[in-house]
Amino acid sequence: MKRRKIFCLLSSVFFLIYLYIPASSETLDKRVVEHTLKNGMKLLLLERHQSPIIATTIMFKVGSVDERTGMTGIAHLLEHMLFKGTKMLGTKDYKKEKPLLDKMDKIAVQLDTEERKGEKIDKGKIEKLRSELKRLQDEHKNLIIKDEFASLYSKQGGVGYNAGTSRDMTSYVISLPSNKLELWAVIESDRMKNPVLREFYSERNVIMEERRMSYDNDPEGSLFENFLSAAYNAHPYGMPTIGWMSDIKFLPKKEVERFLKTYYAPNNCVVTVVGDIDAKKIIEMMDKYFVEIPPQNIPERVWTEEPEQIGERRIEVEFDANPSIIIGYHKPTLPHHDDYVFDVIDFILGSGRTSRLYKKMVEEKRIAVSVSTFSMPGSRYSNLFIFNGVPRAPHTVKELEDAFYEEIERLKNEPVSAKELEKVINHLEAHHIRQLGSNRGMSDTLAYYQTVAGNWKYMMTHIDKIRKITPEDVMNTAKKYLIKNNRTVAVLVKKEGK
Amino acid sequence: MKQSSKLKVQSSKFISCCLLLTAYCLLAVDSWAVVHPSKLKFKPLEFNPPSSEVVLLNNGIILHMIEDHELPTIDMTAVIRTGSVYEPEDKIGLAGMAGTVMRTGGTTTMKGEDINEILEFIAGSVEAGIGGESGTASMSVMKKDIDTGLKIFADILMNPVFSEDKLEMEKQKAIESIKRQNDDPSNIARREFRKTVYINHPFGRFPTIDTINRIKRDDLVRFHKQYFKPNNVIMGVTGDFNKEDVIKKIEEAFKDWKFEDVDFPKVPKVKEVYENSVNYAFKNTTQSVIRMGHLGIKQDNPDFYAVMVMDDILGGGGFTSRLMKEVRSDRGLAYSVWSSFVVGKFDLGLFAAGCETKADSTLEVITLMKNIIEEMGKSPVSDEELKIAKESIINSFIFGFISNLQVLSQRINVQYYNLPHDYLEKYRDNIAKVTKEDVLRVAKKYLHPDKLTFVVVGDDKKFDKPLSELGDVRKIELEKF
Repeated sequence: MKRRKIFCLLSSVFFLIYLYIPASSETLDKRVVEHTLKNGMKLLLLERHQSPIIATTIMFKVGSVDERTGMTGIAHLLEHMLFKGTKMLGTKDYKKEKPLLDKMDKIAVQLDTEERKGEKIDKGKIEKLRSELKRLQDEHKNLIIKDEFASLYSKQGGVGYNAGTSRDMTSYVISLPSNKLELWAVIESDRMKNPVLREFYSERNVIMEERRMSYDNDPEGSLFENFLSAAYNAHPYGMPTIGWMSDIKFLPKKEVERFLKTYYAPNNCVVTVVGDIDAKKIIEMMDKYFVEIPPQNIPERVWTEEPEQIGERRIEVEFDANPSIIIGYHKPTLPHHDDYVFDVIDFILGSGRTSRLYKKMVEEKRIAVSVSTFSMPGSRYSNLFIFNGVPRAPHTVKELEDAFYEEIERLKNEPVSAKELEKVINHLEAHHIRQLGSNRGMSDTLAYYQTVAGNWKYMMTHIDKIRKITPEDVMNTAKKYLIKNNRTVAVLVKKEGK
Repeated sequence: MKQSSKLKVQSSKFISCCLLLTAYCLLAVDSWAVVHPSKLKFKPLEFNPPSSEVVLLNNGIILHMIEDHELPTIDMTAVIRTGSVYEPEDKIGLAGMAGTVMRTGGTTTMKGEDINEILEFIAGSVEAGIGGESGTASMSVMKKDIDTGLKIFADILMNPVFSEDKLEMEKQKAIESIKRQNDDPSNIARREFRKTVYINHPFGRFPTIDTINRIKRDDLVRFHKQYFKPNNVIMGVTGDFNKEDVIKKIEEAFKDWKFEDVDFPKVPKVKEVYENSVNYAFKNTTQSVIRMGHLGIKQDNPDFYAVMVMDDILGGGGFTSRLMKEVRSDRGLAYSVWSSFVVGKFDLGLFAAGCETKADSTLEVITLMKNIIEEMGKSPVSDEELKIAKESIINSFIFGFISNLQVLSQRINVQYYNLPHDYLEKYRDNIAKVTKEDVLRVAKKYLHPDKLTFVVVGDDKKFDKPLSELGDVRKIELEKF
């Protein structure tokens, strides 16, 4: 059962990353080797020789935030497609395969066009096209080598072969025994140079199943999706990373290829390798395999700004499930000063058994079974500060909502204690030490900050900024953002199934 | 790595050919180094599973130790021989509750709230929990806080008071979670599958509001007293310490814990019954959750290694497995499809396969999965399948030891579950010995495609065919709270 959630894994991790993670340290600063290849590909390397293993991350600065209406889910579908091989891998003979792929694309475009006609569809035509596509797909099967990347890695002891797409980024990860690093360089460079989007049309169906599993039939997934689309009127952060069902169904392969060509460029990615490595040798190896991939002109990114919210928004999501509540407030992202203050607020309100919300709502009042705070849905653009709670019957989401507001008012009117602030610092210091004990953790964290903050050294300066935050900063920030007209409230409402 | 000139020529041909054929030719440059991965040669990697040093403390505690000076931290772990298999039938949930309230309910010297404050201020943690067949506890602190951490860790293991107040709170939480147990369709499927396969056995029991309400503070006190004894615990410690010092500290912390014999209630044996059954629960969804399987094997089964390889090929090996290839990538019928042999430590484990698919392909997928399972016992797997499965298990073995905390738990498990002392050392050799004939033999012996327990959660009005095609359908009435 362990490998079930092949693709969701990382998506969900990114979903919940919030920023009290990093801290500063002299040692890390000296240990991370930074190098940029001539084509703009950024390498971050960290040697740890405890065990002969390595963790790698290739992270592209492109996510669903870079999509447009009608094409939602394109970044995520592309991520799936990049598991399907290249001109060399995943095929018995690409030359024979190519004309067949082209034929399938032609049929599929006609089929999609016809199916989009709604009530005016020509059923006979659709049947004919479908069976033609099916025939070609069956023929195609004989020419492909299924999941060859996966077998190659698997045979050599690779674990955690995965990828993830979030609002902000797309990343490809694997951990390997350290003597197998060249295998990774060969496969990954080939994947960047010569990808072939084979088995495209069955993969769209796979993603529709993923959507049914993680959103349409999952109460929490559905609540969060609806909440986010209510919280954003203009900014693409409101659109789901997995895509709307009707978009996924018809995503055109041409558009996916265009997206690939535009964003999967060496100058739009960061590569991290952590573990039993010799940084100098890795740089030589990366140069050999990756340097010839040409850089691209990355288009200007999202300039849409979410307009200031001018009134509370409330939505309900009906489900055959028990109630829960999400409240979100718009706030700036890093490196804005107020984002650091929110890291402190997040910690004091929502982290651990001694946090204010847990103590008040779970332990004292016992109106909730769980409460949490975090930022979402991304960090490249202004995001939301979230309160999430699960009530304990007969207590209601209304009682939870009131209790959240009570704590917010306290935050505005009473300075936080010196001890609470000290606890935040102690945690950041300890976290900073502990995270060094994990190759995978360091690999992903370095890549994450390089991508989102533009420089992984954000991790180093973060704690110093936090140290300077005063109780007045906390009060002022709470007063500025945690106000009624800046919030969206979403409630899961029980509706029994028929 | 040398580049194969033959491959290079071939690849440039490909590229000119696609330039002609597609408008969106990707990254077309023909001078790149193209090395086929199969041409790569790797330096051999010598890896032996790391060991721990083991000492027996005065009062009977077995302590595994690994010094590690990379980071200024100290981590401890403990496994206690206990579990929910030992709880009385009318108080299901007792063991889990005992584990939780041990941690939250305070000790003879400290209130639960004070423990939280102290630990969270130093960014340390102490946790405890009791599962089906074992209890566990852990501690993690910065090196400078070892005395504080160890005192709390020992106090919680030895002297918990199970305050009425915290017990009440945890009971309320447990009841709320029972009320929510039918919210998520995959939860329903997981639970009902286990209940059906382990019928009339503690492995198949789940708490109800009734059994939770019956749990009293005295039950927790008694449960703790019965199992939490130094001679019934295996501990591990790793981090930045000096061995002699840390032994002294741990001995001192646990010095009042007295050796006493432990009585274990008799746990009934799992009755080995395999029969076809079709179980269905209604949920108004657009996707069905499907589980199928039956009893599995016990860890000490001599066929264990062959079964691991067989399962990897069937559905345990992710993308390279048959279920994934045929259900997901060939047909696009699922995002998630898998099989798993959960090996039983003390009795028979489980074989389960699962999938989520849109309602109108439910029966199509069930039939397909059943056929794939059946096929395993009909003809030998291919050489390539065998090779991928074996090499994958052997070469990824090292990832079971990526931190010293993990090494400790591997070493402790060997002892706790009475595995052969050289289990870890021989593991890869034993996998390497598995042949195609073995895989076929164990598939015939341990897979029973004609005697599967099916659990399907969804809306049968939307299914492609009636479930009754699989046999008589038992409707599971989901409790409303």
